[in-house]
Amino acid sequence: MKLHLNAARACRGNWSLVADGTFSEGLHLVSGDVGSGKSTLALMMAGFLSPADGSIVRDGISSSMISLQFPEYHVTGATVAEECRSWGLDCEPVLYEINLMDKRDVAPLTLSRGELKRLHLACALAKKYDLLLLDEPFSSLDAKEKERLCEHLSRLSGGITIIFSHEQSCFPRVDHIWEIQQGELFNRGKMPDALTRWEHAPALIKKIIASGKSLKNISHLDLQEAICRT
Amino acid sequence: MQDVRMRIGTATLLTLVSFFSVPGAAGVFVWWLVFTPRLQEIKRIRIVAGTILMIALAALFISAGGGDGLSYLVRMIVIILIGIWLFSEQKTGEFLHLGVWMFGNRTGFEMGMIAEMGMQMAESLATDLERIHIALKIKGQRWGAKTLVPAGLILVSDALVRAQGTAELMAVRGFYNGGSLCPKFSHRRRDLISGMAAIAVGFLVFIPVSEFLILTW
Repeated sequence: MKLHLNAARACRGNWSLVADGTFSEGLHLVSGDVGSGKSTLALMMAGFLSPADGSIVRDGISSSMISLQFPEYHVTGATVAEECRSWGLDCEPVLYEINLMDKRDVAPLTLSRGELKRLHLACALAKKYDLLLLDEPFSSLDAKEKERLCEHLSRLSGGITIIFSHEQSCFPRVDHIWEIQQGELFNRGKMPDALTRWEHAPALIKKIIASGKSLKNISHLDLQEAICRT
Repeated sequence: MQDVRMRIGTATLLTLVSFFSVPGAAGVFVWWLVFTPRLQEIKRIRIVAGTILMIALAALFISAGGGDGLSYLVRMIVIILIGIWLFSEQKTGEFLHLGVWMFGNRTGFEMGMIAEMGMQMAESLATDLERIHIALKIKGQRWGAKTLVPAGLILVSDALVRAQGTAELMAVRGFYNGGSLCPKFSHRRRDLISGMAAIAVGFLVFIPVSEFLILTW
């Protein structure tokens, strides 16, 4: 199961982004500044945006899902329960899990942004996909929900999961790091070697590496373990 | 056409000319071919196909009722082309300048601001529609009667939320009424030519030329 980007280029006016590389099974993190083109790349990889140049080839991928940055964009149901059903899900267990049972009959767009994001992620992550694209999955979530999402993503097995994020504080255990810089996607490599090449790395990670301590991965547990090590 | 006053005047005149008769619509169509970027505009506005389809349906009903459906279809399509041209040439802030130029810094400013907000809202609705389309595709659903009502609710709800946000922001910034603006407009030589050509088209359709000229074989 592989996703090949063959010099795929996205263009918007004078701005362009070129992506070249192969995404194999595992958890990938694509980091980059706000406005660097992460959402555009995610849409292109999901097949909702055709590359202006180059191509994207799906090898052995039979099902895919993209979670857009803004949860409002996914809403097609008039109530929270209908929204759940629009994903082909039984709403009771989903709403129970995210503690929104009492809001099942309200309009999704009257929920707070955080609640709506929670609802959306619960629906989008309820099924298993060969290719799962998550555009800024941590935005609008509080620290507790971020941690819960990280645990869920760290537990995923099989398939290609790609997180597009500029998050600096909370990460799941990832297998591969990519970076968007000046209109180009760079492959920083597999973990943990990728950490030394990761230019957008959070200050804490850079500090740990600079202090000479080895870091296995970027989850909270890994950071704590590295910091506490003498 | 850079000057919004000339553009709106020209569009109003050409719309009337086109609505008046089929020869008028033909004249306006020629003007559209000569003075606008033509198909480039249409490609950008997806809603055109749906609008033309609705007009074609209305024309069909008119024909079925014994009326001249074909004439209606031709005139309305040309009016839509002029509308697309007007919409595509629109630049942010122009209505504010136009409003102040026409009605001054209080009423004109407010009218211009409302028009600007309306244009922004129209653009947001188009983006929202595109996103809902993607959301339906993600969920493996298609546009249809079932999805139309929730999609409409989302569009209205989003528009209300945005309007509330804008109102709150303006209140926080201390907006009470009116504003101060020195309206500015610019135009090129080509704008004058296309404006004169539009007047000529109107002149040929509205004025019975044969009464002024002795036409003999």
